[in-house]
Amino acid sequence: MESGNNQPCPAKVELSFAPGTTGLVRRCPVYVGTCGYSYTEWVDSGFYPEGTRSTEMLGLYGRCFSVVELNYTWYQMARAEPLARMVDKAPAHLLFAAKLTRTMTHERDDNWRQQLQLYRQGIAPLKKRLVAILIQLPPDFDRSLAHRSYLAALLDGLHDLPVAVEFRHRSWAVDPVFAELQRRRVTLVAVDEPSLPGLFPSLDVVTNPGLFYVRFHGRNKEGWQSGNMQKKFNYDYAEEELRAWCEQYLLPMAGRADRGILLFNNHVRAQAPRNGRTLATILAGLPRGGC
Amino acid sequence: MSRDFGLRERAVLHFNVADFAVAVERISDSSLHRRPLIIAPLQAARAVVYDMSEEAYGDGVRKGMPLKQATRICRRAALLAPRVDLYRKAMQAFFKELQGYSPLIECGQADGHFFVDVTGTHRLYGPAPDVGWRVRRHVRTRLGINPIWTLGTSKLVSKVASRLVKPVGEYIVTAGEEALFLAPLPIQLLPGLSGQELQKLQEFRLTTIGALAGLNRQQLMVPFGSRCDYLHAASRGVDDSRVCRPAADAKSIDYEHSFADDTNDQGQLEGVVATLVGRAAFTLRAQRQVARRVGIWLRYSDGGFVVRQASCRTGTSGDVLLRQLAFTALQRAWIRRTRIRSCRLVCDRLQPRSPQLPLFPEEESRQLRQEKVSGAMDVLRRRFGHGVIGVGRQMPAKIPSGMH
Repeated sequence: MESGNNQPCPAKVELSFAPGTTGLVRRCPVYVGTCGYSYTEWVDSGFYPEGTRSTEMLGLYGRCFSVVELNYTWYQMARAEPLARMVDKAPAHLLFAAKLTRTMTHERDDNWRQQLQLYRQGIAPLKKRLVAILIQLPPDFDRSLAHRSYLAALLDGLHDLPVAVEFRHRSWAVDPVFAELQRRRVTLVAVDEPSLPGLFPSLDVVTNPGLFYVRFHGRNKEGWQSGNMQKKFNYDYAEEELRAWCEQYLLPMAGRADRGILLFNNHVRAQAPRNGRTLATILAGLPRGGC
Repeated sequence: MSRDFGLRERAVLHFNVADFAVAVERISDSSLHRRPLIIAPLQAARAVVYDMSEEAYGDGVRKGMPLKQATRICRRAALLAPRVDLYRKAMQAFFKELQGYSPLIECGQADGHFFVDVTGTHRLYGPAPDVGWRVRRHVRTRLGINPIWTLGTSKLVSKVASRLVKPVGEYIVTAGEEALFLAPLPIQLLPGLSGQELQKLQEFRLTTIGALAGLNRQQLMVPFGSRCDYLHAASRGVDDSRVCRPAADAKSIDYEHSFADDTNDQGQLEGVVATLVGRAAFTLRAQRQVARRVGIWLRYSDGGFVVRQASCRTGTSGDVLLRQLAFTALQRAWIRRTRIRSCRLVCDRLQPRSPQLPLFPEEESRQLRQEKVSGAMDVLRRRFGHGVIGVGRQMPAKIPSGMH
């Protein structure tokens, strides 16, 4: 997954761990980015220069980050042609995660198998730059028998692609779920979000040694329940909070995985890219980290 | 705001409820779901299809098709008469859902089409795709309607996108991708083309929008004349037209009359128009406003309708000039021999009445006389109802007061 040219890969930090029984130094490259990149608000907030147009955003984004999560594929079915044009214009080092379309997660329908086929065709242009397909499940998707059967069938349909699953319902935070994900080599998404009853907790569980996947949603408790996206994801992480998170969760996960991606979803007022850059700086300065 | 608004990329959402009348009828009667449905005026001798469901469309039924032909093609279809007032109410309910997201909303006439300009609203409501999705979710939950939503940088692009995903779905056209998005699409999907223009484009083998975009203005000037500018811009996805909000200046006064029996009697129709004018003039004077345009909507017995207008520069609330305008519009609208089912009079382009007096004395005295007569009639109407008095061809006794 290394970039295809000699240009430096921004916000990519290679964490090194002391030799274990094999006597070899373990390395875990960690990629930092944001959930989505095309926000007009980021021009107003100064992340993108004044006058930046939508078509120029991905190129500018790539100067700061090494991975991006495509969230528009949640709103509409992925379509191969526009996606291919986007990938062609994207910086060579940039990796992509793509959200699964809402018709297979939040608004599940009887024809989800057809939807899945369309989705697979739609994301085909991402090829080897696809780091994971993100299955983000809604808060009401609890661990019922019907939901377990559905998720199993969905994962079967994506078995040959890298997949990460984000649960919002607490009932999924049990060992049998982690064991099954591990068996399937599916990544359990680690989340940082407000500590609210019923929400999936922050964990350092690694179910896929090939990849760990973290999403920082912010810790805005009031906003989370407001139903307004601008309030829900309005949170500015303090540097101390990010440092503490790295110590408590990141390093244990990086010690058990070959690669990781860290994505900020608090897009409001361009807090996500600001916090992402801060985290990248923190990682680069860790005693066991370094580019 | 860091940049001039005019330079900012626009975000225009288009909501389109496919087969709007059918969707509304199915909400009011759930037994109509999953059953072919044709909506047409049922009593008319030569009725045409007003709207039809997707199933009936699949069988070959089309809008404007004679009802007899439609029922022959789709025998299993349920038939319903159009309820335009119900569709208007549904439009208002949809409009209310949109009002929370933008002041710039443009909508059609009971057809389930809305354009919403959400440029610059991201700080309040989040990214435009999220607004589109939320509106659809709310409308689906609260009204039971499942609209298509599309997002583009202009009305034109979002409109074309909605034509692509009909009857359900969504489409986001990224800013800067407009020309590439349009290029492979059939030329028929480009809005605003007349039948003659489409025919001419077919003759030139210009079957895709991209093929049209390949020609410059000079090349288009020869066959299309002054339309070359529109064709040149539209084929590249360039559309600067604004989303027109329903502001105070867009208000109108309208009255409608449905005939007990369909008619093509000139005297009867002119009498009705004159009476409608009397009511509209009375309302205008009560509001101290004048109208600069009068429109006549004629609905024929076969379901078809024609709209024509007449306007004046200064605006009026007087019976005489309003009636002249209304008759001019009527003359323009009455172009068929088919009998007429209903007639609607719309006075719009309203503005406050000017207090300025006429310059010449004789003109002043004539106007004053007319105003005195109108004023006296208004007093009587306020006290005893509108039917108590009329002038000229107005038929106060024949039209019930609650007709609009």
